[in-house]
Amino acid sequence: MGGFIERPRTACALGGALATISALPGVVPVVHSALGCAGNLSNAAAFGSGYCGSSYCSGQSVPTSAVTETEIVFGGTERLAEEIEAALELIDADLFLVLTSCMTEMIGDDVEGVVSEFREEGKPVLALSTPSFKGDAYSGYSIVLEGVFNRYLPKARAKNPKLVNIFGLVPSYDPFFRGDLSEIKRLLEKLGLQVNTFFTPDQTFANLTSAPEAALNILFSRAWGVEFAENFARIHGTPYLITDLPIGPEATDLFLREIGKKLEVESAYIEKVIEQENKEYYGYFQRAVDLFADSDYKFYAAVIANSNNAIPYARFLERELGWIPKDIFVTDILREDQKDALRQGFEAQNLLGELIFESDTSRIEVTLRQRHARDRGEPYFDDDLSPLYILGSSLEKQLALGRGANYLSVSFPVYNRVILDRGYAGYRGGLHLFEDLVDVLVAPK
Amino acid sequence: MSYYEQNIPPTREQRLTIGDSFCGKSEDLLDCARSGCLLQKNRRFWQTGSCQMHLSLMMASTVENSVIIMHGPLGCGSTLHNLSPATVKGMNKRGKKGKPLTWLSTNLQEADVISGGERKLRETIEYADRTFRPEIIFVVSTCTPNIIGDDVEEVVRQTQKGVAAHVASIHCPGFKTRVVATAYDSFYHGLLKHIPFEPDLSRANVWVKEEPQAELAELEFNYRKGRTVNLFNATSIGPADEEELVRLLNALQLNVQIYTEYSSLEEYRQMSQAALNISMCNVHDDYLLAYLKEKYGMPYVIEGMPIGVKATRKWLLAVAKHFGLEDKANRIADQEEEKVLKAIQPYLPKLKGKRVLISGGIVRVGEESRVLKELGLEVIGIRAYHYDNGADPVYTSIAEELPEVPVAVSNQLFELANQVVRYKPDLVIGHNGTQGWLAKLGVPSIQLYDVDRAFFGYRGLFSLVKRMAFAFENNSFAQRLAQHVELPYKKEWFSKDAFSYLKD
Repeated sequence: MGGFIERPRTACALGGALATISALPGVVPVVHSALGCAGNLSNAAAFGSGYCGSSYCSGQSVPTSAVTETEIVFGGTERLAEEIEAALELIDADLFLVLTSCMTEMIGDDVEGVVSEFREEGKPVLALSTPSFKGDAYSGYSIVLEGVFNRYLPKARAKNPKLVNIFGLVPSYDPFFRGDLSEIKRLLEKLGLQVNTFFTPDQTFANLTSAPEAALNILFSRAWGVEFAENFARIHGTPYLITDLPIGPEATDLFLREIGKKLEVESAYIEKVIEQENKEYYGYFQRAVDLFADSDYKFYAAVIANSNNAIPYARFLERELGWIPKDIFVTDILREDQKDALRQGFEAQNLLGELIFESDTSRIEVTLRQRHARDRGEPYFDDDLSPLYILGSSLEKQLALGRGANYLSVSFPVYNRVILDRGYAGYRGGLHLFEDLVDVLVAPK
Repeated sequence: MSYYEQNIPPTREQRLTIGDSFCGKSEDLLDCARSGCLLQKNRRFWQTGSCQMHLSLMMASTVENSVIIMHGPLGCGSTLHNLSPATVKGMNKRGKKGKPLTWLSTNLQEADVISGGERKLRETIEYADRTFRPEIIFVVSTCTPNIIGDDVEEVVRQTQKGVAAHVASIHCPGFKTRVVATAYDSFYHGLLKHIPFEPDLSRANVWVKEEPQAELAELEFNYRKGRTVNLFNATSIGPADEEELVRLLNALQLNVQIYTEYSSLEEYRQMSQAALNISMCNVHDDYLLAYLKEKYGMPYVIEGMPIGVKATRKWLLAVAKHFGLEDKANRIADQEEEKVLKAIQPYLPKLKGKRVLISGGIVRVGEESRVLKELGLEVIGIRAYHYDNGADPVYTSIAEELPEVPVAVSNQLFELANQVVRYKPDLVIGHNGTQGWLAKLGVPSIQLYDVDRAFFGYRGLFSLVKRMAFAFENNSFAQRLAQHVELPYKKEWFSKDAFSYLKD
């Protein structure tokens, strides 16, 4: 986990925190760092995530202490206090999150001390420690959740048995986070639940403050935010459910039944919703089979994505489309216990293919080459992995060209597509993923 | 010890008079810089900007057959994902075969912060060399190794002995400077310390001395070298600009070699084989051109940007003068001016009297402002992203030609937003990265530079005029957007002066 990495598909904790905050309504970051950090990291996340761009006060608008050598030598707390004061004067926000960086952590600035003075005056300011050398972008997401939900928000007076919070999808680093969250919300609302997604444009700061009232936290991640969810349960008394993001009807049917059971929704009602949704899904899907089946659109597949998405994508390809996933690469940087959680989740689903952990971009190509012969020097023998479809990031374009494979970019970084409300979760997401996969095949026509 | 002998290049603060916070007129700016008051100026509120490291990467990422190693924590290299497709496009447009970037991060962790990252850097360089076999490995030294005290230069020196690639370090810790123009010096310092600028003699043609063809070959070579110029590009100078300037220089019968972006090791080796170095930006290249003069006795021309007919003629004449070709240059300029002035005529009525705010790199905003005035537009404000005294010639001209126009040194969005709301320009010419925010403010805008389009020379003038006229046609995108999108500032901000957060 600590060695050098070739073309990592992540950034530092500060980068992940900034991406996360950029999608949180009413929350504005104040970055205690050099002038360029917040700009660079915001650009990287915005550009690499289907051009999700900047929001209310993100990107080039982020307030920063813009420390220089003087502060690095003599300390930067004074400059930070001045910056926070000015930000409170100028910027309209419900909550300011002060984020640290490698340099201000190394020099040992007492950021907590600065922030507590503002807190004593009743100002909505919270300090989070996000040094780059302690974690990557995904951990930055967890740090923000931990700070906002477990440290800042008070315990709820009462629980709302109908309310659920959704966590686990990491803004920008899960490029379809908004579309996925919206579809999950739509489906859960159909079950009569109220849903906090926090990170979609329909949400407000009130969704954040209501979070402690929730009856259940759903965590669509086996690797990220697990500790946060445990702490949430301890502090606010809300239990959590870890499950894979459901993509397509087969997975979503199961997901709805699982939720129904957990929250005691009448099973006949759940089945009715499932039936309606399947009728709609297959109403669309069946009309595409003339093209799909006539054209023999069946492929071996390699999935190259982060730990939140790799397995759900592979499952969709195998169960809905009848493809043969061979190699499922998980590209985020994981600890052994996180890898074990992924392995368990994968084995429990009894899926085809092998789960491989690899963060280095060219090592993925090498691994694929080593595992699948393209030539054996025998007559008629063709590529072991042909016809091949690769679901990966924009970095896999070269790999796909080299192997003569079809390819769709779905994982960070995605810079050859624009992603707004598109998502692949649920029933509608399944249709979208099908459309996008087949688009690639018909586009040359 | 001269800067060139140091391991680590100086920052612009050390080398020049610089500033990043100012408002006044052009004359005041020059005075304030001379008296030193500019050095004291600062802000009570800052928004994020760019980092010198990012600008260094913009340059390094264009170098053919190279690998970049980010020596730092994971986040520093993350913008390379953005740069890769831009570089591929830039290469393809220049007739080279674009290839996605290969880069690595040494991924410094807490343990490395305590015990140092030198060993990790050495391992990463060796891995990159044997795995990718590049011609050049750039080692980019970020904030963390500079704070923990890694001797990056020593690691490079030691590792170089065992690897095939040329290893070039770029020292660009972001906290050392807010003036991102320091990046140009850092990148150039890395090149001049570690990359050869002289031909590989083992690859040259073999001529036996004292034979007639040897003498002829030498004469031919020297003649050609005496008619060859090096043109120094920049990230903001696109292929269309390069083409236009090459066209004009070719008209003077000069051969042109283009540096330092989109060059290869083989091309760098020819850098010393020219008669003259030409820069298009006062604040971009002086560090390298002074070095080339010192080392190879190569003269150089830094004569503003060739934007608009006046500046283009001035620039072309400065180059021509070196070769005694002023008459020819004047004739070329006469001929091209006549054509372009006729071509822009139909657009000028649409531009007349329009009020423009212009924001971005100090030299470009100055040079473009003068052109805007010539074209009949009214410049209501100039915003330079930084000041350094390399730009003095441009601002001396502004002080004469546009003495009343407010000049600010600002790369801050909240100040830009305030100026737009309070002064309601008809058009903003803005720096890359701000156009989205300008659209949210409801104002039409065009890019100060855009590598997909021409800005320099006669083609550039036509392109600029046409784009401005185009911007005035149908602003409904920005208007509708502004009605529906909230900006983060409180209402009171827009009743205050844009520069009320400046402090001495």
